[in-house]
Amino acid sequence: MSTVHKFPGGIHPQEGKGGKAVTAGLAMVKVPQPSRVTIPLQQHMGAPCKPLVEKDDVVKVGQMIGEPVGAMSAAVHASVSGKVVGCEPCILANGTQCLSVIIDNDFQDEWVPATRVEAPESMSVQELSDMVRRMGIVGMGGATFPTAVKLNIPAGKPVDTLILNGAECEPYLSADHRLMLEKSEAIVSGARVIQKVLGIKTVQIGIEDNKPDAVQAMSKACAAYPEFSVTALKTQYPQGGEKQLVYALTGRKVKMGGLPLDQGVVVCNVGTCYAVHVAAYEGRPVVERVVTVGGCVKNPANYLVRIGTPVEWLLNASEGLLPETRMLIYGGPMMGMAISRTDIPVTKGCSGIVALERTDALQEEGPCIRCGRCIQACPMQLAPASIDRFMRRDMYEAAEKLNVMNCIECGCCAWSCPAKRNLTQSCRVCKRIITQRRREQAAKKGAN
Amino acid sequence: MQSKLAVSSSPFLRNTAVSTRDLMLDVILALLPTVVASVWFFGAPALALILVSVFFAVLAEWVYKKLLHEKSTISDLSAVVTGLLLAFNLPASAPWWMAAIGSVIAIVLVKQLFGGIGQNFMNPALAARTILMLSWTGLMAANAMPNGGQILGLGKEAADVVTSATPLVNGNYTLWQLMIGDVPGMLGETCKLTLILGGVYLILRQVIDWRVPVSFMATAFVLFWIQTGTIYSVQSGTDNAVYQLFSGGLILGAFFMATDYVTCPVTRRGRVIMGVGCALLLFVIRFYNNGYPEGCSFAILFMNILTPLIDKFTAPRSFGVSKPAAQKSGRKGGAKA
Amino acid sequence: MKKNNLLRVFTNGILNENPTFRLLLGMCPTLAISTAASSGVGMGLAATFVLVFSNIVISSLRRIIPEKVRIPCFIVVIATFVTIIDLVIKAFLTSLSDTLGIFIPLIVVNCIIFARAEAFAFKNPVLPSAMDGLGMGLGFTCSLTLLSSVREIIGAGTWFGMQVMPQGYEPMAIITKPTGGFITLGLLLLIVNALVKHFQKRRNKKAEEGIA
Repeated sequence: MSTVHKFPGGIHPQEGKGGKAVTAGLAMVKVPQPSRVTIPLQQHMGAPCKPLVEKDDVVKVGQMIGEPVGAMSAAVHASVSGKVVGCEPCILANGTQCLSVIIDNDFQDEWVPATRVEAPESMSVQELSDMVRRMGIVGMGGATFPTAVKLNIPAGKPVDTLILNGAECEPYLSADHRLMLEKSEAIVSGARVIQKVLGIKTVQIGIEDNKPDAVQAMSKACAAYPEFSVTALKTQYPQGGEKQLVYALTGRKVKMGGLPLDQGVVVCNVGTCYAVHVAAYEGRPVVERVVTVGGCVKNPANYLVRIGTPVEWLLNASEGLLPETRMLIYGGPMMGMAISRTDIPVTKGCSGIVALERTDALQEEGPCIRCGRCIQACPMQLAPASIDRFMRRDMYEAAEKLNVMNCIECGCCAWSCPAKRNLTQSCRVCKRIITQRRREQAAKKGAN
Repeated sequence: MQSKLAVSSSPFLRNTAVSTRDLMLDVILALLPTVVASVWFFGAPALALILVSVFFAVLAEWVYKKLLHEKSTISDLSAVVTGLLLAFNLPASAPWWMAAIGSVIAIVLVKQLFGGIGQNFMNPALAARTILMLSWTGLMAANAMPNGGQILGLGKEAADVVTSATPLVNGNYTLWQLMIGDVPGMLGETCKLTLILGGVYLILRQVIDWRVPVSFMATAFVLFWIQTGTIYSVQSGTDNAVYQLFSGGLILGAFFMATDYVTCPVTRRGRVIMGVGCALLLFVIRFYNNGYPEGCSFAILFMNILTPLIDKFTAPRSFGVSKPAAQKSGRKGGAKA
Repeated sequence: MKKNNLLRVFTNGILNENPTFRLLLGMCPTLAISTAASSGVGMGLAATFVLVFSNIVISSLRRIIPEKVRIPCFIVVIATFVTIIDLVIKAFLTSLSDTLGIFIPLIVVNCIIFARAEAFAFKNPVLPSAMDGLGMGLGFTCSLTLLSSVREIIGAGTWFGMQVMPQGYEPMAIITKPTGGFITLGLLLLIVNALVKHFQKRRNKKAEEGIA
């Protein structure tokens, strides 16, 4: 056992009604299939997929309907069987439009034949990466980074540790928690595939210590494998941040702009490992995921949801929002997105739908009183107040010098600000503008 | 179904336990015991001064914002804190108009003209006190004699305002007198017990950073010890470390003045530097300057001015960023280009 | 027309381009000697004398002085008049000489005088230069008088040495100290800037109405 390191900063956000304590004890429930699903062709970081179906095509569950385009991409599959109604743009949680395949459910739940892999643990790295890409597996924690890219490790890059992220530090969410309790064997089996194929020596499972039952379940599941170890981590947001988790478990610091891979570490969400298990042993792609519906809903629950199910369907399954609901969050309340409409489909990266009775983020901003709380809270050891000041004066170069590009947008600074300033948003603006300028500069250089 | 769902940028949870107003309210609460102590020892004039000072501070803030057609900021209570702290830095014998002028100077000249809360480069109360001190040295240097319980008619007879040398000059006070505030001095600086009580409250509530007062007092104590050679003895009068530590405005400054958010470094290391720097300057002024027996306000004001510099040099090194190496490679790249 | 122009040059120095409040020139003597109204007036008039005569001489010599060595030439001219006024004050106004001390000889390096020689006298005929010197000098005198009056009244309770504040008034000593000089000047600048803004706004409004 290695020692657990304490990452700098961090906060302890309070939950309101219907928080973790409520949903953590509720077993996953298969939500009935909706009569129509909307499956966006971009459910990952990177370019959208090329549609493979047309209007009036009949599709089966698990049939590939979007072909990955480019390196940063993963396939998209039909999550219900039925007839394709159309292939048109629909609005996603972040407000952008994305080409989506709309399927009318025939409720037959007819699957395409499973493409099982023989002896998954003896695949080559390339084979595993191809399978993961074909099966549409992305980072299920919410970042939706294509897992194929993560696992396709260039030859000569030493990797000695696989970390399973089961921290689930976001308030209200318990999707990963339930998955670890109910599918612990499958998660370990998926992780073993990755471990064997990549030839990794140690596998560490990091779980926040507010989930002792999950720690126990996972320990039991991996008891037979000496390479595996489960570590209970301090409950502190953002313990599940990739860089924070790597530091907590290995003491290695991921460099600014770098990947955990540079430190010899591969990090996978427990949900991703589960998806790998399903793909390898059952031959089924990602067509459903666990979604926590929590907060101000009548019946908070953890649902097993087919991809493309509208949010409204889930809310109805939970018997609707309570009247005091003021905000609806797609994802966790710290890093998710506020949505004003409920026809938005659940995608692979959606770990929860949280209804909040509070509108903390809408409070009026006061002047900064230089209390330094944001600096103390920042897990990346930045100075958000100074970045905020520079952002408001359009001084992006100065913000860049303060390493704003290292920001993980976890929201700790804005959470801790007594003047209620939207510091995280300022960092986000800086990052976007700096990225855009870099791209323009690169384009200019290319043109010259 | 739901007709109005609000949208904003993340995070959607904010710490509802802390707001600017709550912080100021905590500081006011922490100062209240000292208000009681000063009224107990210095009587009705003390109460009058405190009320006048707070009233004019709030009035000045309100009028200023009104004149500029801006939103009133008196509800954040920072003006009340400034008024209280200013009153704590006045002798009981000070005339009421001095408290009024001081408050207006603190709020308008030092705070609002630089952009209001969060923008002042000096502690408003201390800057105003210093201006008063340099303007009416005679009135400010008069140290009222304490007369415990006079407001309830319990005090000694005919003890109107009698002035006397501060404990820094006159070493005839017992340690107990120093602690409870039964010594001549400014309104809020004499009763160390209530000040420490309030300070500890603020530290426990995480309103102020313990690093500033602790490093301030520890450094000062060590310096006094080295200078005087004694920790404590009754015979040595003022010449011992404990007596020096609990005399003058050191405790008030360490807990309530040097920790002022706006004029104190934001980083942890910076806050230690702030405390040590204040102690060093205080020590130098107390022992090597004949003009002023007490140097707490000057020491803190000087460190206030150094704060941006301290912040610059103690800026946090971001997680996973190796600064010196980055700079080196940058320079090398530049040379090559 | 010509007369009008001269008048404009004259008032320009007092109002629009007041050296202290609008151009922020000659700050050193402004801050240093504005502790009493009398020394303010004395300093202002001495500077006015030097300004007028150095402007006249430099303007009349402007075709003779070579471009490259104009600065030393300016200094020689200015220093001459400074020496004259220094000796005059020493001879006839001993008390003023005592209070102003080194600041009279230091008029030589007063940037108002240099600025006007360089920017105006060296490019303009004699008469306008004289008017410019007079206007600038009186502008300087007025603002010095204003600043020093405020400082003397608040800081000492007197004006030109006479007690003006009521008996019980406790003078605010810091105002007569250097710190007070900065504070008072800053506050007066604030008022002047606010007034300028106000008048500009009104003028703009009038202009708009005129157009309409």
